[in-house]
Amino acid sequence: MTINREEPIFSTYLHEKGARFGIPISGNFELTAGCNFRCPMCYVREDSASCREKELTTAQWLGLAEEAVRQGMVFALLTGGEPLIRRDFFEILRGMKRLGLLVTINTNGSLIDREAAMRFAEDPPLRVNISLYGTEDSTYLRMCGQPCREKVLDGIRLLKQAGIDVRLNVSLTEENADDFDGILRTARELGVHIKASAYMYPPVRVGKDAASSCRLDPDRAAALTVAYDRFRLSEESFRLRAGRMKEIARRTDGAAAGLSKREKKCRAGRTGFWITWDGRMLPCGLMTAPVAYPLKVGFTAAWEQIKRETARITLPDGCRSCPKRDACFICAAICSAETGGYRRSPEYVCRMTESVMHRMADAAACGVTQRENAEETR
Amino acid sequence: MKIKKELIKREIAGDTILIPIGKTIADSSGLFLLNEQGAFLWDIIPAAETEEELTEALLTEYEVDRETAEKDVREFLDRLREMSIL
Repeated sequence: MTINREEPIFSTYLHEKGARFGIPISGNFELTAGCNFRCPMCYVREDSASCREKELTTAQWLGLAEEAVRQGMVFALLTGGEPLIRRDFFEILRGMKRLGLLVTINTNGSLIDREAAMRFAEDPPLRVNISLYGTEDSTYLRMCGQPCREKVLDGIRLLKQAGIDVRLNVSLTEENADDFDGILRTARELGVHIKASAYMYPPVRVGKDAASSCRLDPDRAAALTVAYDRFRLSEESFRLRAGRMKEIARRTDGAAAGLSKREKKCRAGRTGFWITWDGRMLPCGLMTAPVAYPLKVGFTAAWEQIKRETARITLPDGCRSCPKRDACFICAAICSAETGGYRRSPEYVCRMTESVMHRMADAAACGVTQRENAEETR
Repeated sequence: MKIKKELIKREIAGDTILIPIGKTIADSSGLFLLNEQGAFLWDIIPAAETEEELTEALLTEYEVDRETAEKDVREFLDRLREMSIL
């Protein structure tokens, strides 16, 4: 008789099984478009009062979650905007947990005071992901419009004291890239995991282009990606990754590869869905289509539609035949956000991938040493 | 027998899993996968007072010999106790 308790492996197992049976194993609930921060790369935030009126009610969110649970949903991400600005946030969290969901929260951390930490302790989520935008007030002011450094760091400490699993999510742009060393140091001092990304999607959902997001030029983004890999990977894992990249770089000197039949499969629209603050279902929150309306047609019909329409998406031939494809992070959401469709390969992603590949190949050629900071990013 | 933790049993794609809710999640950080006999036992544990009752139930429900049933029940309960579920 067996009983296992390995959450990450189990998550992979459930998603693989979900993919075979078309089950929505994980869902993202974007509880609000409102936020107390003003980050340039945000793809959700809307200011107008009319937007707040269109947000789903507590009962609507819990109703959708209940339907999703009946279809097999296990993991829920509560995100925003800033989900903690909703007065009913803890009611939604508690309700979703009672349905048998494992709930993770995305928050900017600025609203986690003693009372909020106490409420999290009473009803703990699986994890709280806190977006850390910098380690200086000046960085916070530039990035978010508020000097919130202490509030956010206090929030992290309070959650840790309350026994909550915390991870830092870091989005790197022109506004905070210089503070990346400090962010990595802070993660180490706080003893929390960190997930950093130097690639920023063009915020097309709110009608803005890539330029307005203050994203880094592809080469700088690549340098930070490599620095982050050095930080997060063991020396051996980094060496192996660098070796793989060197091999791909060597192969790309030759002819173009044949057209790949094997698409890169992400979970969006296969085992995962996203419901926006105004009730639209998307495969992924970074996409604008396909879209379904679960409040009108019911969760199950909306999910079936999203699965069907996502399955028809194929990446551009240029990506599928690209000899660099094994080094690339392209996905349907990136392609549509960057190019407006699926016919052209996104130039920014090509340039960033090439730069990452060559930096890693150089590291492999020079012999790799583990670094304690991101000094090579400058 | 008293189950100490708050866990919800769910069926996902033919598997039976236990999902921690309430405060249980803070000291579980994961899911529990039950096989068919484990799922059967889980449902009757709260009403059972002894290991023998569980063994008898297993013998009635499944075609197993007494020795195997006793061993399976003991191992299952031991695992639950190790994880402070029971």
